[in-house]
Amino acid sequence: MTQTTRILIAIGIVIVIVTVVLGVELLRRQTGSSPAAVGEPTLVPGSIPIYLDGKLVGGFQPADLERLEKASFIEPAEGKKQEGWLLRDVLLLYVDAEKLNPGSLITVSSSSRGKTAQVTWAEADEPGNWVMFDLTNRGTLKLISALEKLSTRDQWIQDADKIEVVSP
Amino acid sequence: MKERYFSTFQLILLALLAVLIVVAKIALRLPLQVPGHSGLFWMAIILVAAGVVRKPGATSLVGLSSGILAAFLNMGDFGALNTLLSYTMIGVGADLALLLLRDPENLVVAVLVGVIGHMGKFLVKWTLGALSGAPLGFVALGQVRAVVGYIVFGALGGLLGGLTLQALRRAGFFAYLAEKR
Repeated sequence: MTQTTRILIAIGIVIVIVTVVLGVELLRRQTGSSPAAVGEPTLVPGSIPIYLDGKLVGGFQPADLERLEKASFIEPAEGKKQEGWLLRDVLLLYVDAEKLNPGSLITVSSSSRGKTAQVTWAEADEPGNWVMFDLTNRGTLKLISALEKLSTRDQWIQDADKIEVVSP
Repeated sequence: MKERYFSTFQLILLALLAVLIVVAKIALRLPLQVPGHSGLFWMAIILVAAGVVRKPGATSLVGLSSGILAAFLNMGDFGALNTLLSYTMIGVGADLALLLLRDPENLVVAVLVGVIGHMGKFLVKWTLGALSGAPLGFVALGQVRAVVGYIVFGALGGLLGGLTLQALRRAGFFAYLAEKR
């Protein structure tokens, strides 16, 4: 076998891998949407559903990014720049500010990783806390913050797929 | 007496390169918000390992050693198993590519070995994510962006590694190694 043939085989292998990965992802995206309940908004595949006092009020979706300002900070634990969208800005797209009070409890969870984090509206609303979503390498969202309870990798919520707000 | 597959000298070299991967991963911070950008130095080191110890299994050993070290250091976003497997697969992927392509000093080969090795890491992360029921990417083109990032930086890392090997040959490093073996 000539070296050119070997190189062409290697290129073919890369193309096959890429095609399979993107094909499977496309299939997941097409079959992933579920019908909405009566009176509730329809969720786009990949969007993050937002619940207010148990009721679905919307889904944070890629189109929303154009309406949000990007935020970034250097996280102290690893000195790495984190860039994304503030949780407070995301919530305010779907929840009236009047329905939120400083004690409102926001729960961000990841079903696949079995992790949850809770912050109050007062904490999320404080810009210096940098409670925000960052994009992971595989295109999902992770919740990070400068708050002590969300400041390390173990505490971050990777693959976040649900936001719940409960107001006392 | 049966000769060992890797000499002690070769094992020391491979262990040093494995440590270098972990140190580089911790210390080098490229200001790029692009998936897979660490492949730039990662694949370069893997290619150097493949060049200095030209035996099948050399890069797998580097991948496994660096994976064990990284897992113990709690590196990575997705847990110890994900870290161990993704580090290991970079080495295994590079080894498999080298079985087909052979000479890592050929720059086209180096680029392809860099891409295939780096895609090994991507496949581990993608497969484990899918198996664990990770949600679909928030950004529809998230996976495309990730795939392109892994390919580009894997290729650049491979190229850097290939050029390093050529520079080492010009500097007489391989003649020095032949004496040490």
